[in-house]
Amino acid sequence: MRNRVPFKLLGLITLVLLILAVAACGQQAAPTEEPAAEAEPAQEQAEEAAEEAVEAPAGEPVTDITALSNVQAADPIEFESTRLVVENMRKLGLNVEHRAMPWEQQANLVWYEREDWQMTAWRMVGRPERMDPDEFVVNLFHSTTAESGYNFVGFSDSEYDELALKQRGITDQEERRKVMYDVQEIIANEVPYIFIAHPELPFAFRTDVWNPDSVVDAQGIGIKNFWTWTQAEPVGEQKDFVTNTGDVIQGINPLYISGDADSRVTELIWDRLMRIGPDGLPQPWAAESVEWEDDVNVLVTLREGMTWHDGEPVTPEDVVFSFEAPLSGEVPMYKPFVDKIANIEIVDDGAVRFTLEEPWVAFETASLAKLNLVPKHIWEPILKDLADTEDNAESYQEDIPVGSGPYRFVAWKPSEEVILERNPDHWAAPKAERWILRIIPNVESALGQLRTGELNFLMEFEGDPTVLEDVAAQDPNIELVATTSLGFRFFGLNNRVAPFDDVNFRRAVAHVVPRDAIVKNIFKGFAVPADSHVSLAIDYWHNPDLSHYEFSIEKARGILEEAGYTWDDQGRLLMPKR
Amino acid sequence: MRRGVLLYLGSRLLQSVLVLWVVVTILFLLFRLAPGNPLVAYIDPTFTEEQQQTLMRQFGLDQPLHIQYVVYLRNLLRGEMGDSFFQRAPVGELVMQVLPNTLYLTLTSLLVAYVIGVIGGVVLAWQRGTRWEQAGVTFTLMTRAAPQFWVGMIFLMYFAFRLQWLPSSGATSAGVIFDSEWAKLTSLDFWKHMVLPATTLALYLHGLPLLLMRSNMLEVMEDDFITMGRLIGYSEWRLMIRHAARNALLPVVTAMALGIGYSIGGNVVIETVFGWPGLGRQLVRAVSASDYPLAQGAFFLIALVMVLMNFVADLLYGFLDPRVGSSERAGA
Repeated sequence: MRNRVPFKLLGLITLVLLILAVAACGQQAAPTEEPAAEAEPAQEQAEEAAEEAVEAPAGEPVTDITALSNVQAADPIEFESTRLVVENMRKLGLNVEHRAMPWEQQANLVWYEREDWQMTAWRMVGRPERMDPDEFVVNLFHSTTAESGYNFVGFSDSEYDELALKQRGITDQEERRKVMYDVQEIIANEVPYIFIAHPELPFAFRTDVWNPDSVVDAQGIGIKNFWTWTQAEPVGEQKDFVTNTGDVIQGINPLYISGDADSRVTELIWDRLMRIGPDGLPQPWAAESVEWEDDVNVLVTLREGMTWHDGEPVTPEDVVFSFEAPLSGEVPMYKPFVDKIANIEIVDDGAVRFTLEEPWVAFETASLAKLNLVPKHIWEPILKDLADTEDNAESYQEDIPVGSGPYRFVAWKPSEEVILERNPDHWAAPKAERWILRIIPNVESALGQLRTGELNFLMEFEGDPTVLEDVAAQDPNIELVATTSLGFRFFGLNNRVAPFDDVNFRRAVAHVVPRDAIVKNIFKGFAVPADSHVSLAIDYWHNPDLSHYEFSIEKARGILEEAGYTWDDQGRLLMPKR
Repeated sequence: MRRGVLLYLGSRLLQSVLVLWVVVTILFLLFRLAPGNPLVAYIDPTFTEEQQQTLMRQFGLDQPLHIQYVVYLRNLLRGEMGDSFFQRAPVGELVMQVLPNTLYLTLTSLLVAYVIGVIGGVVLAWQRGTRWEQAGVTFTLMTRAAPQFWVGMIFLMYFAFRLQWLPSSGATSAGVIFDSEWAKLTSLDFWKHMVLPATTLALYLHGLPLLLMRSNMLEVMEDDFITMGRLIGYSEWRLMIRHAARNALLPVVTAMALGIGYSIGGNVVIETVFGWPGLGRQLVRAVSASDYPLAQGAFFLIALVMVLMNFVADLLYGFLDPRVGSSERAGA
């Protein structure tokens, strides 16, 4: 029995050496790449398909297509939609494969291997600051973001580039709207994305705890928003918000943009100069007033008498510090939102003047309503210490976070809950006593808890919305509010590689996406068909006259035929002869 | 003889260290060679090239693999497991935040499962051939085979949502703050939250000791010394407990030691169903998000405890059964 031990050891050592050898080979093959990006079978196939694509000569069959999506268990809507569309694409005589992979892997391929995929399902989520279309309009399709930014589809159009930047400088809203309409028109014609739908976000709350009239439904966002948290009135004994998330809280840090659940916490603890109102427009918040002196000078007057949770007064110096800190290099994630500020100066006791490098109309939404005000007396020393290290403000966690917002930090129990309490000294003190965010990974359990009252506000529900609908129908004390999101789901078509480098091909494929059927059968009616990256939910900016790609296999074939594509005897689609 | 024991201990220790090194190396490579990249979690329309490079540098991923490996081993020897990529805090700290909860839950269920399992095994062996035995074994096999999430959901449905006897999620009620860990452990609220997950887990765990105990008992009861005892005229009870059970307990002790080792990793399924704030959930999240340091750290800890418990089991074995030790010594 004893004799076997050396053999075991030998076996183990051999195993380790083998693995090391394999790793070393991988290193040599791709010396500059980070090892995490090693090829996977799925990735390889997609790459091969993309490589062949480039060489497909005229008259040859159109190259095989691989469509990427998340796996069914993680995102059934995306998976089912992709499957449906892939089936329809086959009807055009295409050889299409549906490749489902975990999101991390899919994102890695789409984002870091930009030449090596053809088509992918994707989603954008709605956030309050996205109520101004600027972020999507510039970052999704401007050609400068094609190499390493969010324009992973590689869309490039000089007219679009020009208009997307031009709208930033137009202070006249009507005029800016015209340009916004134009950019949407270009995207609709060029089809870098095939838009599917804007989901309707289902949230629910107990009416025996919260007065339904005081729960605020924000455009494009839903009832899960800052205004509900601060304005909802308790009707009975229970005065605490008890709400849920399936996420882990990664940090409670005003200078780190981490998860969605984290943002719900930070926006309550830290004030901002402006906030996006329920109507989607920025409104003064910690600022008494925001006044545009001209195209580039903005005078912000600070509200009087505000204090930090530790009792110190909020000063204009704090405001300047909050906006200058991201430029120090210690707060990288907020840097893009202050980049265009040329100068910040304190005018007199309560006012701060921001001078922009160039006119930027989204400044209020994308900057003033985005940055958290942080106390200089706490963060200045911290940033100073961090300056000499590899770390930055993102990795700093205060024991007791201090802001000036309507709620104060009480406790954070990792993987369990975050507890905030109302700040009675705040000028807009909440009506609720406490705000408790429970971390509940089990969707069915969260629903059950809403029924028993353990939860009184369901702010995350990843399950089947019709189940929630039934629950609300059965229980008169549960109200469901579904709001059209400004986020959307779409297929990204890689404009760099064949066959999607041909706009006619993209248009044809857009005609085989059955939006209405997807909304009805896959979203179970909890969505509206989408046709633009500017959501219907922001009706002021949404262009109502975009060319629609109605579902029609015949139309798709017609477009292909007109562009010179033909079919062989077996019905396979052939490339146009040049 | 003394030298023999020392040699035995020494070689076992050396083996343990070697196993740990292998585990650490495999962990290191496994996560880095798997597809996926920790940076994808940050993908956003405002994510810039500059930010990507800053993150790569901070995470140490801009270094070649072998340098990363050396740094990793060096830090580990110093007891440092690095910072989590996403939670941006030291791994040791993050693990320690949830490890106690995991231990409370798994050790409680383990204790319940082994007490019930051992007693149940003795009773079933005693009732050999009766209807009781049949029913008992069938029930145990069913609980062993039933998926834990299913059992958990049924419990939730009945006891938490329909009857509303017990809370459904978390380790404490919403908004309850305890001054100390001790105050939490002595509170009724905490134990109420413990009932459903611990029962679900114990129901699954009790099968192993029960069946093990039962078959051992049956074997021991065939032995000469039991027949001898019977001839002497000892009562059945005395024979059962003092003689047979004691001897049959040995493998169960080993199983329990290993069970404690396993339990450190928590139980993802139970923790997810009941929202229990334990290590299992954290682990799964770390793996799926490519949070290398956190995943490595947590798995290393699990491996460490497993190896340690194996070591302890070996020692216990030698202690409980002198024959084991002597054969080892003879071999050495």
